[in-house]
Amino acid sequence: MIIDKKKMKVVNNKTPSVDGKGLMQGRSYYTDDIAAQDSLVIKILRSPHAFARIKSIDVSEAQKLNGVALVLTYKDVPHVSFSRAGQGYPEPSPHDKFILDEYVRYVGDEVAMVAAIDQETAEDALKLIKVEYEVFEPVLDFEKAFENKSVIHPEDGICEMFPIGFDPKKNVAASYEMEVGNVEEELKKSDVIVDETFYTQAQAHAMLETHSSNARLDEHNRLVIYSSTQTPFHMRRILATTLGIPVSQIRVIKPRVGGGFGGKQASHGEFFCALTTLRTGKPSKCVYTREEVFESSYTRHPMKIRMKIGAMKDGRINAIDCRSLSDTGAYGEHALTVFMIVGSKVLPLYNKVDAVRFGGQVVYTNHVSAGAYRGYGAIQGNYALEATIDILSEKLGMDPKVVREMNSMREKETSPIFEIMGEGTKGTAMIMESCKLPYCIKRGAELIDWKNNYPRKVINDHKVRGYGMAIAMQGSGIPFMDMGSASIKLNDGGSYMVTVGATDIGQGSDTIISQIVAEELETTVDKIIIYSSDTDLTPFDCGAYASSTTYVSGNAAWKAAQKMKKRLIKEAAVFLECKEENVEFDGKTFTFGDKSVSLNDISIKMLYNKNLQQVSVTESYYGHVSPPPFMAAYAEVEVDLETGEYEILNYVTVTDCGTTINPMLAKGQVEGGVVQGLGMACFEDVRYDNKGKMISNNFLNYHIPTQKEIHKLTSEFADSYEPTGPFGAKSVGEIGIDTPPAVICNAIYNATGVRIHSLPITPEKILRGLKELKK
Amino acid sequence: MKINEYYRPSSLEDAYLKLQEDSKNVILAGGLWIKKMGQSINTIVDLSTLGLNQISENKNEVIVGSMVTQRDFEKSEIIKGLFGGAIAFSVREVMGVNFRNIATIGGSIMGRYPFSDVICGLLPYDVTLEFYPKQEISLEDYLNYKGKLNAILVSIHIKKEKGIGFYKKVKMTALDFPIINFAVSIVNGKYRIAVGSRPMVASLAHKAMDYINGLDKIDQESYKKAAEIASEELSYLDNKDASKEYRLDLTKVYVKRGLEEVSK
Amino acid sequence: MIVTFYLNDVQVSYLVKPGEYLAETLRNHGVKSVKVGCNESSCGSCTLLIEGKPMMSCSVLTASIEGKHITTVEGIQEEAAKISRFFSNEGADQCGFCNTGFALTIYSLKRELKNPTDEEIKDYIVGNLCRCSGLYSHLKAIKAYLKEE
Repeated sequence: MIIDKKKMKVVNNKTPSVDGKGLMQGRSYYTDDIAAQDSLVIKILRSPHAFARIKSIDVSEAQKLNGVALVLTYKDVPHVSFSRAGQGYPEPSPHDKFILDEYVRYVGDEVAMVAAIDQETAEDALKLIKVEYEVFEPVLDFEKAFENKSVIHPEDGICEMFPIGFDPKKNVAASYEMEVGNVEEELKKSDVIVDETFYTQAQAHAMLETHSSNARLDEHNRLVIYSSTQTPFHMRRILATTLGIPVSQIRVIKPRVGGGFGGKQASHGEFFCALTTLRTGKPSKCVYTREEVFESSYTRHPMKIRMKIGAMKDGRINAIDCRSLSDTGAYGEHALTVFMIVGSKVLPLYNKVDAVRFGGQVVYTNHVSAGAYRGYGAIQGNYALEATIDILSEKLGMDPKVVREMNSMREKETSPIFEIMGEGTKGTAMIMESCKLPYCIKRGAELIDWKNNYPRKVINDHKVRGYGMAIAMQGSGIPFMDMGSASIKLNDGGSYMVTVGATDIGQGSDTIISQIVAEELETTVDKIIIYSSDTDLTPFDCGAYASSTTYVSGNAAWKAAQKMKKRLIKEAAVFLECKEENVEFDGKTFTFGDKSVSLNDISIKMLYNKNLQQVSVTESYYGHVSPPPFMAAYAEVEVDLETGEYEILNYVTVTDCGTTINPMLAKGQVEGGVVQGLGMACFEDVRYDNKGKMISNNFLNYHIPTQKEIHKLTSEFADSYEPTGPFGAKSVGEIGIDTPPAVICNAIYNATGVRIHSLPITPEKILRGLKELKK
Repeated sequence: MKINEYYRPSSLEDAYLKLQEDSKNVILAGGLWIKKMGQSINTIVDLSTLGLNQISENKNEVIVGSMVTQRDFEKSEIIKGLFGGAIAFSVREVMGVNFRNIATIGGSIMGRYPFSDVICGLLPYDVTLEFYPKQEISLEDYLNYKGKLNAILVSIHIKKEKGIGFYKKVKMTALDFPIINFAVSIVNGKYRIAVGSRPMVASLAHKAMDYINGLDKIDQESYKKAAEIASEELSYLDNKDASKEYRLDLTKVYVKRGLEEVSK
Repeated sequence: MIVTFYLNDVQVSYLVKPGEYLAETLRNHGVKSVKVGCNESSCGSCTLLIEGKPMMSCSVLTASIEGKHITTVEGIQEEAAKISRFFSNEGADQCGFCNTGFALTIYSLKRELKNPTDEEIKDYIVGNLCRCSGLYSHLKAIKAYLKEE
């Protein structure tokens, strides 16, 4: 069903976020705002060693301290392996984590937990816990992890849920291999071959609200958890199975969330809140410090990626060979799935190849665990692929824009990779029903004036401007796996109560879903009351990850609204005393010939007078495909050739995300993604000392982009309509983050002749490169 | 952070005596760094009610109370009027407005922080620190002073002279500490060069200054040579933010550019 | 110790520890609009106005504000609503966690700077980190807000 965008009154129109005004005015609905005032405060004792075994632990002094309610060590908690990853079931991540363990595997890993009447007492109690460690040699270089004599997971009781290449005795969390055609043969036929290796660093999510959770028992003695999470339903399942309590005894509520970016897909303090409240009967809360968010939550998976591309003299790419090594840190959350996306959401961009191969390993190290992070493998793969395409273009003597135009995905085409690679399993074949990538490339080039500017412009004796580009794709949810659902209830007065499991983490899904429902029911957003993410009150949703909410949950809401509309017409027919097919509905009034009745009237009458019933509907949706959004991005950078310093003067994106349900929120997603991507490209770097202690554990030493680094963003959208999406929409949450590393790398090269093979692209690296060029 | 007592002294003498009572008694200036250090404090002595937040001037000098916030300092017309606004500019490079409204000039100086924009920015001018009990010491001598000075900083005296300055903070993002920072001035016809965050606290590059101030004729080559001398005479180290080599390279470029800039 | 000050023009007296910081005191007393993002004066989420000047309340000792006037976002409700309109119009609002501190900084900017340049606006708001938006939309929203006045 294709709907004319011009006829849309709410969707594709500027609509303020439903919660924007309230949050700006300080309405207090974030997790810690609604913790019980008398909550026990939970603090965690963390490992000072990168790899050790607890030989002995004495908590008696801590327990004696006045005000301490509970102290827990690995001896006091269920010894059940699980994955914090916050994925569907069975998880594609290994079950390799215990709530508390005898082993500690990175500096910051959990050793013990204290719950006390206030923060000061809890912190004092931590100091009274005496621990004796047997310290092991840590693995801090992921290129030396495979078959290292230090085995990070020597323990029994850990497992994979289905084959993912898990081999912990060799420090391998997951591995994967695939090949289409014969890459070796095709490379032999190529006129030009480039073979380049890139390194991507660990990046921190740095959402401004730190990981927060709290717990209380309700009047039925059920456990109620408030959590700043992206996955409330998965959280409930993982808590129940790991703690050995029925799902029916747990309620997880997600209030407003202060940014997630993948970091809040996982569980953090929730287990400790649950245990504390269950064992003491008292409310409890756990709010991570900023240092804990850096040192003891998650980073992006650092990777080494070798990209080999073969092409013919005319510019046609015939083979791509990508080998990769990924560092999952101490635990294997998202190890396989992030790794596979380096291939599956990157390599299909160049779908005209005769052969493509992808594979490698994900290894354990004694660094903080890597986990889900916006871009999720695609940003790493995009950097390697798109920088290599530029290198190839230079070798071919061609404009890299032309090489991309020749070889990249177009509408109605496909790639065999879609069918082969999925979410840790086999994938789903699909045709690109919407792909405006050629337009995105063309329009972006106009906006940056590629014709006149590429590759560089000299400003003065030490300043030069370089221009670079890249293209990218992502997905829209995981087909046949990610499910969302929505219920709509008619209220007296003609407003609608919409409940969805979909998880608004600041991206604006409550607004998007309200718009979709309002559009279908021909009403306005103020008639929609939306309530989301409460496992007791809202229907199931997999959560906010994998760019799924607009597409999957949005489709569920659309289906529910369509059903509601049919249902309203059926009920109105009772009032109008006619057949359903003769009723007309304009959002406010039902008419049959010259008879009419208002929605307002029947909504009241059905509660008190006639045809008595509660009108409500529920629908679910899961994708049969995962239509990728596409993007072309360009940047103009100005480099100081004497110092290597550079400024990003303009970053241009043209995005095909289908219909933009909310154009301003879509722009916010693209630009927010771009700036986080620029952070990874230019400034951000999670760093450790030689003992494995993180040294970039605060905002002074971990540099996220500020207002002063962003000079100009130019963001446009292609006119596109995805037939399987709600009102033609695809996803837009992740695509923005993918291009900056490659674009900046290419722009810096075009400005200076220096090719940077490791992120972040720092002035120091550029100057070193310039000095080498001079030699 | 644990603080046992909060004390608001009635006079400098009162504050000073309170400090002598216990080695764990400390002055509250802005208080930002005290929090970061997380040390346990017996009594915190708040100087904010002693009238040390004024900026005044006479014919010879500008007198800045030690409790003047960085924000009030950078906004002051008196400060902006000094050396083409170079000193005010250097302070604007410290974090954001919501930080500089708390941080004080005195707090920055007393801490002798290696990464300080305030110290590096003031160093190439004639700056004297006035302490209680009465003692005056030049900023440079204070930076070189071994050990902790047992006194309260009262005010900073900046000599009014004819001249102009240049300030450059090299950084990753606007909210960073500098990778390295430079302040270059020409005052009464004499050049002065300060380099900070090498990663040690700022120092004057005396040999480079002597070289260029001793020349009869100054040209592009002399700027370059002076920058080279500055890179040789001061010590530089690797740290997490940059390598020693990069800091040396930057010194050669920015000292040269600074000298060029102030010579225009 | 007891500290008496004016919270949005209402005189209040709170019992606090000498080492307690203002953000903590206010949150303990139910003023949850004050958000703590880093608790080490780096992110600006906890910004509020003390005697009309934006400061990070995570790093101001409560004991030091005796007798002073504190403004939280509750004290500038109408301005906050107005700012939210401009944010929404530019796609600048997302998770909202930094927004209360931001609103107070922007409100203060408007009163402190006359006809600021882009660079002056950026200098003024750089201490308020935002991880969601593209930041450029903030600049555009603030310019539109200042223009309307």
